[in-house]
Amino acid sequence: MIKANSVTKVVDTSEGSLQILRPISFEVKSGESIAIIGASGSGKSTLLGLLAGLDQVTEGEIFLDGEGLHQMDEEQRAILRGNKVGFIFQSFMLVQSLTALENVMLPAEIAGLDNPKALANDILEQVGLKHRAHHFPNQLSGGEQQRVAIARAFITSPKILFADEPTGNLDAKNSEKIESLLFEMNREKGTTLVLVTHDNTLAGHCNRQLTMNAGELVETTAESRNDNAKEAV
Amino acid sequence: MSTSFNLAWRLFRHEARRGELTIILLAIVLSVAAVLSLSLFSERLQGALKSRSAAFIAADAQLRSDEPIDTMWLKQAQDQGVSTAQQVATRSMVFKGDEMSLVDLRAVNQNYPLKGMVTVTERPFGEKQDTSFLPLSGEVWVQSRLFQALDLSVGDDIEIGDGVFTVTRVLVDIPDAGFSIFNTDPIVLMNLVDLDKTAITGPGSRALYVGYFAGEPNELDSFSDWLFPKLNDDLHSWRTVADDESAIGRSVASAERYFLLASLLAIVLAAVSIAVAAQRYAQRHFDPVAIMKTLGATSKVIRKIYLIQILLITALGIILGLIIGFIGQQIVVVFVADQVDVSLDVWHWRPVIIAVATGATCALLFSLYPLLQLFSVPPLRVLRKDISANLRSRSIQFIASGGAIFSLMWMYSQDLQISAILFLSGAALVAGLLGATYGLIVVGRRLGSGRMGPWQLAWARIKRRAMDNSVQLISFSVTIMLLLVVLVMRNDMVSQWRSQLPEGTPNYFLINITSDVQPELDRHFADNGVKIEEFYPVIRGRFVAVNDEGVNTDVSKEDEPNREGRRGLGREANLTWSNALQKENKVVEGIWHGEADNAQLEPGLYPVSVEQEVAMRLDIKMGDKLTFNIGSEIVETQVTSIREVNWQTMQPNFFFVIHPEAMASFRPTYITSFYLPTENKSALTQLLKPFGSITMFDVDARINQLREIVDQVSVAVEFILVLVLMAGSLVLIAQVQASMDERRQEIAILRTLGAKGGLIRKSVIFEFVIIGTVAGFMAALANELSLFLLQTNVFQMEASLHLEYWAVAPTVGAVVVGVLGAFGCWRLLTLNTSQMLRKMV
Repeated sequence: MIKANSVTKVVDTSEGSLQILRPISFEVKSGESIAIIGASGSGKSTLLGLLAGLDQVTEGEIFLDGEGLHQMDEEQRAILRGNKVGFIFQSFMLVQSLTALENVMLPAEIAGLDNPKALANDILEQVGLKHRAHHFPNQLSGGEQQRVAIARAFITSPKILFADEPTGNLDAKNSEKIESLLFEMNREKGTTLVLVTHDNTLAGHCNRQLTMNAGELVETTAESRNDNAKEAV
Repeated sequence: MSTSFNLAWRLFRHEARRGELTIILLAIVLSVAAVLSLSLFSERLQGALKSRSAAFIAADAQLRSDEPIDTMWLKQAQDQGVSTAQQVATRSMVFKGDEMSLVDLRAVNQNYPLKGMVTVTERPFGEKQDTSFLPLSGEVWVQSRLFQALDLSVGDDIEIGDGVFTVTRVLVDIPDAGFSIFNTDPIVLMNLVDLDKTAITGPGSRALYVGYFAGEPNELDSFSDWLFPKLNDDLHSWRTVADDESAIGRSVASAERYFLLASLLAIVLAAVSIAVAAQRYAQRHFDPVAIMKTLGATSKVIRKIYLIQILLITALGIILGLIIGFIGQQIVVVFVADQVDVSLDVWHWRPVIIAVATGATCALLFSLYPLLQLFSVPPLRVLRKDISANLRSRSIQFIASGGAIFSLMWMYSQDLQISAILFLSGAALVAGLLGATYGLIVVGRRLGSGRMGPWQLAWARIKRRAMDNSVQLISFSVTIMLLLVVLVMRNDMVSQWRSQLPEGTPNYFLINITSDVQPELDRHFADNGVKIEEFYPVIRGRFVAVNDEGVNTDVSKEDEPNREGRRGLGREANLTWSNALQKENKVVEGIWHGEADNAQLEPGLYPVSVEQEVAMRLDIKMGDKLTFNIGSEIVETQVTSIREVNWQTMQPNFFFVIHPEAMASFRPTYITSFYLPTENKSALTQLLKPFGSITMFDVDARINQLREIVDQVSVAVEFILVLVLMAGSLVLIAQVQASMDERRQEIAILRTLGAKGGLIRKSVIFEFVIIGTVAGFMAALANELSLFLLQTNVFQMEASLHLEYWAVAPTVGAVVVGVLGAFGCWRLLTLNTSQMLRKMV
């Protein structure tokens, strides 16, 4: 489902070029869940941004569901994201001036799905927030906002879901709720999940963990639950 | 399209309801409302002033001719929908028995006057009243002075040329009587059909033939286009209201320029507030754009969503602005109805079109750069908040905004000069401010170190946000500067108008006072409690030669070129002599002869001072020898000074002032003036009874008219000032509000770290106070520059320094910006830390 070949990322700074990612290669199978872990500044989020088509590689290739992200411009990547990718963020990233329902409808509308409102209502019910559908994000708790974000991520039934520290802004109780909701919906929809986290427990729920250190992928760990997972460095 | 529209509409609806569009909407509403109310009000006011001014020439336009006006031309005018009237004016002697007097004879046809009214009274010097009638055949109406001169009564017969006419009414005034203290003989108004009976306008006589025209501007224009090729410059002259060079005409013209200036500044202020609001609007949408892009929205979809949203905001802003602007000016019209004459025609299309165009242009052009920034926000911002717009070059912004402001100003004013002055001084201010900001930051760097008190925090923030602060400083300074320009121009202009006619301005002139009655007159008036002004000696003489080269001495129009050589004055000159320079006269070249040494002069010549404009018209230079023929004697003089004369004051002014030694042998008459309150008018007859030979000239009505117009225009100017102040305040609020968003995060962090509210509040207030003070100072500087350019180039006023504003502007800047900052900060501090942190997300 995801294939990265010798992906590098270099950025220009006032003190010259800075290599954020050294050549990285790996593959993620359809339906697999992987966790990218590592210390702050190790390049986890940069890698996530590249894999999700939010940013462009300096060198190397990335294929998402067989399509070469590295050959696409921003417009083509946007269309690909709209059709195949879902996102969950640490800071929820809800549009503050839209209600919970409208936030959930947003990707469905952008993708041009039929009856986005009904879809959004259904999925809000699944995450247990039907009664909060007409509230604005700042009227919801952190946990509720993240549940709205999960509903929004799944409304288009994406093939791949990217999650950046999904429990990073939540307390232990809410973290647990979000974790179970995320994995439950992931299983139910058969989505491929790529997760960036500091949280080892959360990472432990994934099939595999990729560890980043100073821009390099130093180690991968296969979970016993998924023997088919292939390691690739 | 429907997805984009739905999304745009949803965002618009929620954001409008949540008050997030208030500032940008208010900026558009205010710009439209300000421009509509200003231009609608000034259009209505100008309509009224124009019809008042039209009354001074009795029509919208006059054709003055030395020959009878071709009746075909009048017929053509009528065919084109223009109304016409005619007058023949000439000087003539009238007789009553053995008494005779020179009069200004006006023979008019039945349509006269097309604008304004003829006024009459029941008895000489009585209460005047308007009349729509004219003398019938065989009748004449004559002015009070002729009653006095010929000892007339209503019903008496007088002879004019070969005709005999009955005096049936006392004439007070006709609209186009003209205004000159000299050469003004009493007017006799007669019916044009009687003119032939007098036989005074035969071959060789000099008469002025006037055709009057009134109608809609386009009809008049098409008629004048038809007429102009047929006119002969030597015989004909075309005059319209706009050519009115009187004090009233000039006041109205400068008021019109002020309205224009104020409207231009309102447009600039509106543009600045829209620019600030649009910038803030775009910044608030960086996250939603990044989110939508992440969720698959293409640039095309994003562009559609935000263009639709801006169009919705603009449309709503324009509609609300039109409603509020219309209601606002209507309220003001009702409010000032007693004091100001405005046209009752409430709806004019031009102001509406201008207001809509201004709102749309401002909203679209000033949100262009912020929108381009918004479109360029990369989706990666969802992961990294520090990434904002990808658009680097700010030069697009400067070129687009500068170009938009300048073209709006130029389009609106149709006046390149006034637009260029404002624009260039604004640009100079911006450049100066950029330099000053960096200077401030260097100074601040030294002051900002040490223990963290509120001052240090304020300086630290100013340093850190150098670019933002310099932009903010520029917009504060421009706003304060524009407000200062409008305020100071208004003060200078209104006080200049008022100073022309202070309370107690002489409203009656006495002429033909001989030296033997002068002391008696002085005493008699003093006994009756009326103060007489200065006596000026006057003698009539012909100006005959310049450097021994003869000039045309025909009695003709002043501005007519001499067809055979050097241009003459065209009539007898009123000569005076004095060693003291008159009030409101200023020597602009040479030395006043009261102060000069006559040794420099050629032998046998006496010093003379010449008025600047007449010197220019007759091509007279310093040192020229001027020859006058007085009675049968020749007086030879040499120009030792050229004077600038303020013609707008109601006092006798002279083209030529000669050294007293030259005139010692002549017996002059004197001219003087006095002030008598309008309500004491009835005392006039009593006052003047002992002095039958003296002629009185009544300018009370003229002064009242002028004062009324000045008052009206002042009220209108006041209203415009208030509007511009409102626009300016909104800009300041928008700016402070915009900067508060950026401060929210910092305040949240300081609060989280345990900083006391007092410390934060003080540091924010100090920061704004510092910015306000510097902005005020820079504004005072730029204000002085633009006022100098405006007063000397546009308003033809004397430029003056406004030192008081060098103290006022920084103080007001500090207080207003500080208070607004405190208010914005107070709102933030009422939120608790977690609410604030949540708002940051």
